[in-house]
Formats: sequence, C-alpha cells, structure tokens
Amino acid sequence: MRRGLGIFVAVLVVVALGFAGWLYLGRNPLGFAGGSTVALASYQGATVTGAPTALAFADLVKRGEYLTHAADCQACHTAPGGAPFAGGFAFNMPFGTIYSTNITPDKETGIGNYSDAQFLAAMHRGIRADGEKLYPAMPYASYSLMTDADALAIKAYLFTLTPVKAPAKSNQLSWPFNQRGLIALWNVAFNPDERFRPNTGQSPQWNRGAYLAEAMGHCGECHTPRNFAFALDNHDKFAGALTAGWRAYNISSDKTSGIGDWSDADLYAYLATGHANGHGGAAGPMGEAADDSLSYLTPDDTHALVAYLRSIPARASDLPRTVTTAAPASYKEGATAQANMRGEKIFAGACASCHDWTGVSPVTGFATLTGVRAVNDPSATNVAQTVINGVSRKTADGKIFMPAFGGGYSDDDIAAVANYVTARFGAKGADLTAKDVAALKQQAAQQSKEAPNG
Amino acid sequence: MLTLTVNGQSRDVDVPDDMPLLWVLRDHLSLVGTKYGCGVAQCGVCTVHVAGKPVRSCQLLVGDVGTRPIVTIEGIGATPNGAKLQQAWMEIAVPQCGYCQAGQIMSATALLDANPQPDDADIDAAMAGNLCRCGTYIRIRRAIKNAAAKSA
Repeated sequence: MRRGLGIFVAVLVVVALGFAGWLYLGRNPLGFAGGSTVALASYQGATVTGAPTALAFADLVKRGEYLTHAADCQACHTAPGGAPFAGGFAFNMPFGTIYSTNITPDKETGIGNYSDAQFLAAMHRGIRADGEKLYPAMPYASYSLMTDADALAIKAYLFTLTPVKAPAKSNQLSWPFNQRGLIALWNVAFNPDERFRPNTGQSPQWNRGAYLAEAMGHCGECHTPRNFAFALDNHDKFAGALTAGWRAYNISSDKTSGIGDWSDADLYAYLATGHANGHGGAAGPMGEAADDSLSYLTPDDTHALVAYLRSIPARASDLPRTVTTAAPASYKEGATAQANMRGEKIFAGACASCHDWTGVSPVTGFATLTGVRAVNDPSATNVAQTVINGVSRKTADGKIFMPAFGGGYSDDDIAAVANYVTARFGAKGADLTAKDVAALKQQAAQQSKEAPNG
Repeated sequence: MLTLTVNGQSRDVDVPDDMPLLWVLRDHLSLVGTKYGCGVAQCGVCTVHVAGKPVRSCQLLVGDVGTRPIVTIEGIGATPNGAKLQQAWMEIAVPQCGYCQAGQIMSATALLDANPQPDDADIDAAMAGNLCRCGTYIRIRRAIKNAAAKSA
C-alpha cells in the first residue's frame, strides 16, 4: 500500500516536472533556432538592435520614433477614432475586457511622470509606476527582449507627443482575473525578463530580423497559439491563432498552411505594403500592423524580417492548400446558388461589381479574392470580419477601401455571403450561422463599433 | 500626366494617381453622363466599361487604369449592343427620374456582350448591383430582353 502510494507520488512529481519543463521550453520564442547565444555586449557581428544604420546619427527622438513604429505601440494604445497613443482600445477576452492606457506624456492621466527606471519596469517586467502589475495584454514578455537603450529611445519619442488628458477606463474582468496580484505567478512562469541574446550560429541579418520580430514587432502575440495560462506556446511558434475575433494566420514555413511557398518578393511586398498580388491584402489587426508599423521599416529591416521568418520551423495547421485558380466567369458554374441562394444574391448585389464572379478584381489587385488566405480558411473568420468591418487603410499607394456591411446587413446575410465566398473562391465552403457572426462581432467589438461606412 | 483612352479617344489628364476615375471623367473630361451615387461601389450609377468589364468608377483609382480602354455612357451608343439597348430603352420609356440609368445601360451592355440571350436569372446576377430607387426594374428587364431579341 505504502509502496503504491510512493510510486503514485513519484509519477505525479515526474509529470509535474515534465509539465513545468514543457512550459519552460515553450516560453522561449527563439529556442527553435538552437545553437549558442551570447550577451549583446559580447556579440561580434553587426549591430542588431537599435534604429537602422540610416538613422545612426539621427537624434534620440528620431530613433525613438522609428522604434515606436517598429514596436507598434500605436495600434493598441489608440482607440478607434481616438487620439493616437491616448489609450482606451478594448481587448475583449473570454473573461472580460481590458483597456489599453494613455501613453502620451500627460502628467495626470498619461506617463508624463514616469522616470526612466519606471518606464523600463513597465516595458520589461510589466510593473506600473505605482507598483501595480500590468496585464500581459501589454506584451512586456516580448518587450523584455528589448535593450534599455531602445526602450528609452521610445520613451524619449513618446515624451515629445502632445499630452492628451484621457483617464484610464476601468477594466471589466471577472474573478479571479481581476486580481492583479496573481500576475506575479504568471510573470515567474512566463516572463524571463532577459534581454535579446544574438545567436552566433545565425547571420547578423537573421539576428536583426529576430530582434525586430520578437523584441519589437511582437508578431507572436497574435500569430502564436497560447497555452492554458494565455502565455505564448512556442512549441507551435507562429502556427496561427485567433486574436480579437480575427484569425492571425500560420506564418511558419509550412508550405501548405504557412508561408513556405510564398516567394521572398511576395513576403517582402506584404510586409512593406500590407499587400502582395495573388495573396491578398492585410485587413483588421494586420492592416493596422501594416499601416502603423511594418510599412515604416527600412528595406534592410524588412529583408531581415523575411530572412528570419524563413527560418521558423514548419508547423502544419488546419488550413487547406490555397486555391490559386480563378472561379468561372459565369455565376452558373462553380459554387452556385443551388447550395446557397441567399449568399449568391448578396454577392451579386453588393460584391460582384468589385470582386467579379471570377474573384479577380477588374478594379484593383487589393480586391482580388483568388489566392487570398482568408478566403481559403474554411472557418471564414476573416472573411466575415472583413464584411462586417470593411477595410479602410491609408497606404503609400493610396487609400484601400471596402465598405463595412456589419451595420446594414443581418447576421444571416453576412453568414450566407461569407459561406458563398469561401465556397466559390476558396478551398472549402464555410458553414457559418447568424450566431457565429454575432459572436465574431462581439469579439472584435473594438473595431466594429466605430468602423467607417463610406 | 496620365494618358487615358476614353470612348476611343486618347485623353491626357493632369491628376493625382489616387483620384477615382469618376472624378477624372466628370471634372476633368466633362463627361458628366456618368453619375455619382453612393461613393462606395454599392449603387452602380458610376458604372463604366474598362477593357469591356463593367467597373464602378468611384472605386477605380485612375492610376490603376493603365492602358485599358474606357467606355462611358457617352460612347456606349457607338457599340452594337449599346445602340440596341438605348433604342430598347427609349421604345418602352424605361427611366423615371433617370439618375441611375446610365449605370443600368452600362451594366446591361456588358451583360449582352458576354451573354447575348440572357434569361431572368442571368439578368438578376448581372444587374443586381445597379439600384433604382424609382423601381424601374421591370422595364429594365423587359428592355434588355427586347434588345436581346433583336440580336436573335
């Protein structure tokens, strides 16, 4: 009896240790690369942190501005239609809503009184000036890789912004998630609080890309699945996840469900402009990432990101291979009304004039549906979100626009047209219901509430 | 400076690349037969042909036109189906207020170009994006069928 108990306890301990080890391995976003790493100070290669060479002699604020774009602070710290960096953007989580805060230098409601040490504590350890813990919706577990110098350059830039008086909105979280003190445990488990260590087995370009992707752009915060504790699970690094009601796609090097079969030129174009012909354009949160962050990177930095992305191990996800051939020119062929009369009717009236029955737009490459990942995603999550929220992006090439249909069409209509579009132009038709659409609206409420409608 | 081919003529325009074609047609080339309606490609009144396809000119940036030829309502009567449709339109007095009709005729012409004998479902699929607040849809359908009958 006692012996049986002993074995049982031993097994428990082994399982617990194994689980802890598994979690430990999953928390390092750069663990996949293997090889040996060195502290930045002892790295012999070219500089991999900081602003790019072109800005090497620019003043601190200019460099900080570049790095602020690279770290994409603006996307989350700006509410739809609100003042940039003044916070108030809602993160709708299964357990409640968290609001981003004001990071303009307002002394009362912003970060105007933050000392350098306080700013670094927030960026690296998720500790506010008053000592309270931030929720990891603030990606400090990623920013902890950022050098002190870069974080302080960002602070220098933020302190040149016009102070905006915008008190923090109170979070609406259920128990126990409203207990900030518990985040201490999360931090021990999931935030190593270590600066970026270059990998000596990789090129300086790769290391630059790794720094940009992990310490700055925090790609994984949307593209890497989370574990039970809502920490990134890097066992499936960049294999795709659902974030804020939108699907962040698999960007590992898997050829079928990732970006393994994209050319370097296409990847570069997508990162630099938020669009690559034949692959479609970024919308929703990735549209913001493109417009607020990625499009500001220098060509060298974008190339570095491409080099880094290429090295991410392939992880297959549930996406089928993308269909790259256009649909038939006639509505009578291909996916037809027999299966989805309502969807076809809506498509004919509201969509066909720009997207065409073939899916290849006569208007602009941005509106071509053929080859687009969202259209080939049988969950139709991003198709439905795009229909609901529309697209309104300002790029160097001009405005990219699609009306938001979420207000004018019923949830049934949106489900029907999303099902029709995925069936006609993608690999497999979706099976959305009005209920699903209502849930998607709820999850991305921070977007749909104030989306412009023409 | 951009060079466009509009209704068979070469036209130079000095406009920004990101100006919608509709603005160029109306304000710079004085082709005001094409109308502005919703501005978001949802009503069809701004329809023109670009390389033979019906396109909402409020959403097409002039810089994206390239060398593709443009035909507007002012030039559609010079095409066989355009002429037939305009005749059919007059014979049964399709328009009421008329604001959407240029777009209707442009979409109808593209339909007959691709499908000389459309049935009701074909007409619905091709014309659904052209709204008419006066409700002339029944006469539009009849005029398209009358024009098609003349080709048979």
